[in-house]
Amino acid sequence: MVVLVIALAFFFDFTNGFHDTANAMATPIATGAIKPKPAVALAAVLNLVGAFLSTEVAKTISGGLIHEGSGGVQITPAMIFAGLLGAVLWNMLTWLLGLPSSSSHALFGGLIGAAIVGAGFGSVDYSVLMSKVIMPAVLAPLIAGVVALLATRLAYALTRRHDPESGGKLRQWRGGFRYGQIFSSSLVALAHGTNDAQKTMGVITLVLISGNFQHAGTGPELWVIVACALAIALGTYAGGWRIIRTMGSGLTDVKPAQGFSAETSTAAAILASSNLGFALSTTQVASGSVIGSGLGRRGAVVRWRTAGRVALGWLLTLPAAAVVGAVAAWAAHLGTIGVILDAVAGAVLVAAMFMWSRRSHVDHQNAVSEVDAAGEVVLIKRKKKLAAAKGK
Amino acid sequence: MNINWISFLIVAGATLFSTAVVVGLYALGVRLYAISAERPAERRLHRLAGYGCFAACALAVLYGVYLIIPSFHK
Repeated sequence: MVVLVIALAFFFDFTNGFHDTANAMATPIATGAIKPKPAVALAAVLNLVGAFLSTEVAKTISGGLIHEGSGGVQITPAMIFAGLLGAVLWNMLTWLLGLPSSSSHALFGGLIGAAIVGAGFGSVDYSVLMSKVIMPAVLAPLIAGVVALLATRLAYALTRRHDPESGGKLRQWRGGFRYGQIFSSSLVALAHGTNDAQKTMGVITLVLISGNFQHAGTGPELWVIVACALAIALGTYAGGWRIIRTMGSGLTDVKPAQGFSAETSTAAAILASSNLGFALSTTQVASGSVIGSGLGRRGAVVRWRTAGRVALGWLLTLPAAAVVGAVAAWAAHLGTIGVILDAVAGAVLVAAMFMWSRRSHVDHQNAVSEVDAAGEVVLIKRKKKLAAAKGK
Repeated sequence: MNINWISFLIVAGATLFSTAVVVGLYALGVRLYAISAERPAERRLHRLAGYGCFAACALAVLYGVYLIIPSFHK
């Protein structure tokens, strides 16, 4: 049972990396800062490194969110299995439908749903849930967005140059930010490793504790860290083909200076949160930054309808994954047969969704990252091009 | 319900500060580089100052990464 759960956790980790490659590398590829293949390889390596840097987030999940150990409720590997199943299914479904969602929230939702069904409402520590999961989920994208807005303004203000005599604009060399983007997007990949890879580590540690292989309250073991780091790096590398395929379909209009500001604030926000053990959604933070930096440019207008769609996806993820997790936990309650039923149903659904994704056409709608969807929230009026068109 | 608001303030402050430092230094470097292309007389001075900004920016990033790795602070 424990082995099965760990295998499923690695699969989740893989899908997570797969899902999120685009977050870090879509913008620098779009601005031409780095070629797709090296970008994807770089992201994979940095995810691997990031996973080793800090394990605070793993500790939040393995010790705190759900009352485990002798004093609390008995968490069984079967419940964690159900929770993971909920997360994986929801992740695949949203990926298939092209809905913006967060793999982190899917994971928490699944676990919480399974814990409530398996052990009652008292099994979840709501204060930890609020202060380390829900509040960071709401605040971190906001913080990242506001900071990205300010940073974009700063970057443009510092590089704006006028001729002192004629007052005309001078050449500004903002293309120089393109090289900076290689580094800032690498930082995002690193930050992703310090936050997202930790989540799987936390879950596996939770399983090991519940299966009495490890003492309650201890951090992740070394082999767990190594394996999780490898899984997310592999997933990141495998996810690369999506970016390469969608490059032709036209990404959001992002300028190098803007992209640099957005990525720097994303990385800073994630790294700061990881350090305090906040398990936030890297996807949402990156989306917040992209929106913020878009607003920092002149002539930016918010498309409220798209913004609403993105926000709805965010709100829906946790409860939806909780429901799937709860159903799976209910089935797992029936004993061994229930667990087998869960595993078979899960495998069939995942396989079916994978087949479906193969069949359907990969286009802008279902293959571009969530961050890119967020980027569409902001509409930049292109005065120059419009004026030029009229002039003709 | 016990929510630690101070830690959110820390996250917000740290994010704002570090982003401002990194983006500010980089932008300054870009500007200096742009100036160096226009004034051949002082090209080396401006270019050196520009590289100095980029280097300071890189150092700031490395220091930030150093700060968040717990194994350096035990």
